[in-house]
Amino acid sequence: MIDEDRLLTALAKLLKRTKADGASVCAHATVRRVFRFAYGAIHQSLVQEGVNVIVKVIRDRRVGIASADTLEPQGLSRCVRAAEQIARYSPPQEHLAPLPARHRLTATADHVPATLRVTPESLVGSLKRLFHLCQGAGASLAGSLVTGEDEFAVANSAGVRCYAASTVAGAKLVTMFGRLSGYASGVHRDVRRLDLDALLKRSLSQSLHRREPVTPPLGVYEVILEPEAVGELMAWLGSIAFGAKSLAERTSFLAGRLGERVCDRQLTIYDDGNDPSGLRMPFDFEGTPKQRTVLIDRGRAAGVVYDTAYGARFGRSSTGHALPYDETEGPLPLHLGLAPGRTTVARMIRACRRGLLIPRFHYVNGLLNPREALMTGLTREGAFLIEDGRVTAPVTTLRFTQGLLEAFSRVRGISRERRLVADPGQELGSAVLPTLHLAAFRFTGRSEHK
Amino acid sequence: MSDPSAPRDLVAGLTRQLKRRGVDYADVRHEHLLHEHLVAEDGRVTSISLSESAGVGVRVLHRGSWGFAATPHLARAALARTAGQALALARAAATVNRSPRPLAPVAPARARHASRCAIDPFDVPLAKKLDYLLWANTTLLGPDAVQRATAHMDFYKRRKLFCSTEGSVIDQLLIESGAGLEVVVQSGDEVQVRSYPNSHHGALAQGGFEYVKQLDLVGGASTAREEALQLLRAKPPRAGETTLILDPSQVVMQLHESCGHPAELDRALGQELSYAGGSFLTPEGLGRVRYGSPQVTIVADATIPGGVGSFGFDDEGVPAQRVDLVREGYFVGYLSSRESASRIGLSASGGAMRAEGWDVPPLVRMTNVNLEPGTATLEELCRGVRHGYLLATNKSWSIDDRRLNFQFTTEIGWEIVDGRRGAVVKNPLYTGITPVFWGRCTGVGRREDWRLWGIPNCAKGEPMQSMHVGHGASYARFDGVTAAPAT
Repeated sequence: MIDEDRLLTALAKLLKRTKADGASVCAHATVRRVFRFAYGAIHQSLVQEGVNVIVKVIRDRRVGIASADTLEPQGLSRCVRAAEQIARYSPPQEHLAPLPARHRLTATADHVPATLRVTPESLVGSLKRLFHLCQGAGASLAGSLVTGEDEFAVANSAGVRCYAASTVAGAKLVTMFGRLSGYASGVHRDVRRLDLDALLKRSLSQSLHRREPVTPPLGVYEVILEPEAVGELMAWLGSIAFGAKSLAERTSFLAGRLGERVCDRQLTIYDDGNDPSGLRMPFDFEGTPKQRTVLIDRGRAAGVVYDTAYGARFGRSSTGHALPYDETEGPLPLHLGLAPGRTTVARMIRACRRGLLIPRFHYVNGLLNPREALMTGLTREGAFLIEDGRVTAPVTTLRFTQGLLEAFSRVRGISRERRLVADPGQELGSAVLPTLHLAAFRFTGRSEHK
Repeated sequence: MSDPSAPRDLVAGLTRQLKRRGVDYADVRHEHLLHEHLVAEDGRVTSISLSESAGVGVRVLHRGSWGFAATPHLARAALARTAGQALALARAAATVNRSPRPLAPVAPARARHASRCAIDPFDVPLAKKLDYLLWANTTLLGPDAVQRATAHMDFYKRRKLFCSTEGSVIDQLLIESGAGLEVVVQSGDEVQVRSYPNSHHGALAQGGFEYVKQLDLVGGASTAREEALQLLRAKPPRAGETTLILDPSQVVMQLHESCGHPAELDRALGQELSYAGGSFLTPEGLGRVRYGSPQVTIVADATIPGGVGSFGFDDEGVPAQRVDLVREGYFVGYLSSRESASRIGLSASGGAMRAEGWDVPPLVRMTNVNLEPGTATLEELCRGVRHGYLLATNKSWSIDDRRLNFQFTTEIGWEIVDGRRGAVVKNPLYTGITPVFWGRCTGVGRREDWRLWGIPNCAKGEPMQSMHVGHGASYARFDGVTAAPAT
């Protein structure tokens, strides 16, 4: 761990080195330990440590950006000089938003030393136990087990000094039994609370079904989407519709529709970087505190997220959703949430006459027709047919092609219980999501090969 | 930005140290990467950034198990600590792994390799690059319908030093240049996008600034803008089975998803099951499975000049080579590593191990996966088509976890009626099953229309590694394909 003092001191020294009119610097230090395994063997074990520092300097309204993977003074000096040199060549920007000013941040307690202290031997021991359990059940296991740490810091010449540290532990478990397979994943800040046995049990429950997979006819089905499946769709909604850039370019389905009803009134979608049940990050890469931003409010298009540049363009304040300075995607929501409902998954299944229970989607793509939020993707492990209120048989891989606004306009139920959905291998982003019961979802293809 | 020279003594010393510690095998890789990224939007430069990354990755094989650790610190103590971490991880994994992991043999090499580059893009004055970028960008502007016009350039300079306990010492310098344009137009509720020369980050090649000049961004900008405006008035394609002719820009994505990925041997052996899935091309089918029609020959060629999947040696010291993946319709080869090749009884690695950077271990990656050219002109491919479509420039992509069921949309299409190209169609979508689709390939375009493309963002692995891979293709014709409008 670098620690708050050392990281912010390095950034403050770097700011002093520049002769620019203004400067901002963000740093991300990361540690990841990753084990990947398949068929009872560990085929990858790695530890990755690094730091990335990005400097933005402003001189005569000209901006220069440079980054380096070091905290060493010489490397940082080179980085500042490169940014200043770039600024000299940059054309002046007419609408340059001011740097965010100093602000107060709520301290978080997301750094759990036990997650960092866990030894490779202990993690391998956990995997050995899972391999045994799986073997005992007659199934094979593949997956990954990750532990890690992140430190984010932002400082600027307007007085901003922000720091947040966190740990993460997560696992993905794919179990295979003949033609059947199951999947479960989990993430926690504290490795001791990552319940690998429960995950294995969930994955095995899908792969040890007594019936062989069936191939249902293509068409429209009721679907019960578990949080990971909802997460795939929400991530795409976030990138194609909920950022100010897509609103400005009018590619977002929210463009021209703010205030209008766009989906079922049961749906409220928001972004909340301070939600302790997610992998929160209290500020963005400009150092602006994260604001809870409602995107869909009881079915109505409510808004998008902003950084300072797009905020200035729309006459609004930043909502704290800036990405690193060298990204050109514009502001994006990285901590999406879907408000809980009142029902349970068991009740959803009982209420379903004929439908599909889907734990996760594979390879979703939301670029087909973003104005209609038309998406495609496939089922993967653990998808089941529901008939007359009962889960009856696993189903083979199916492809959906569906406009999300249409699908989200007929919500039959939202679960009270929500789950944290995140990839522990990635530094940023998580979602807190319920299970969603939709009345109609179109399946257009199947994966067949003889 | 800095002194990119590798700490040769430190790297070689660390390798010797690991050998003395009795590991089965180890390699140490130092990398230094410079990346310049320039963006202009709506007639003004919006982003200029330069990133520098350097460090050392240590990979150890101990009692049949791998361990990998990396550090940006080049001090002797930091490197020794990193090597210790890699060894500790390998030792921990070895308490589980029972079977050894032999490596296919490779002769130790002491070599230098540099990609071709006439004009080092990092020597070209920034002002000159920006002038050209803005010229191309402003050419996209004009009509009221234009919502956003973007132009970008990317330049990479990567130096690698590889040392192994088997005695290899390999220096490589790889320079890449690329550029692209995108215009978003809108009329009422209709929004369309057109890119040049390709979508998803444009075009990228091993080479210098001369490559960007050859792209003719300004000429391409006018065409892209006009085609985007045509799309606002265009009709969608009819739904149903039809004949498709894919422009090389779309064949690239078809090759990438439905041939390149399933031919990765680590994936076929189950090592990607927790992320992107497996492969229908299992080792039992090697040499026996019919992948496509006899017109279809696909190679993985790491030796081709200009390809972003080209190199002198891969990241485990195996010389670059050309490997047949599909020969006249039959699946005959894999992209492979020393370990995966050995596991299925191949005598040598296919030389496809590459890492995104110093801080991650190499994985089996596509090199330049190319559809070998045929002899037909575009007109000859269209001949005899009563009704079909010519589709260009990928817009969306999706394929299942065994790489069978795929669905693509493209930015633009043209109706083909009685063998002639007709009106523009918007939002075309097509779908199929990989071996069925390639089995219906009834023609491949000639070498004169064959072109090599670079994709800078091929995702694989945990932690996810984004790799630069190449694909070469000409036009290709497919009969009996399911097409539909993406609405």
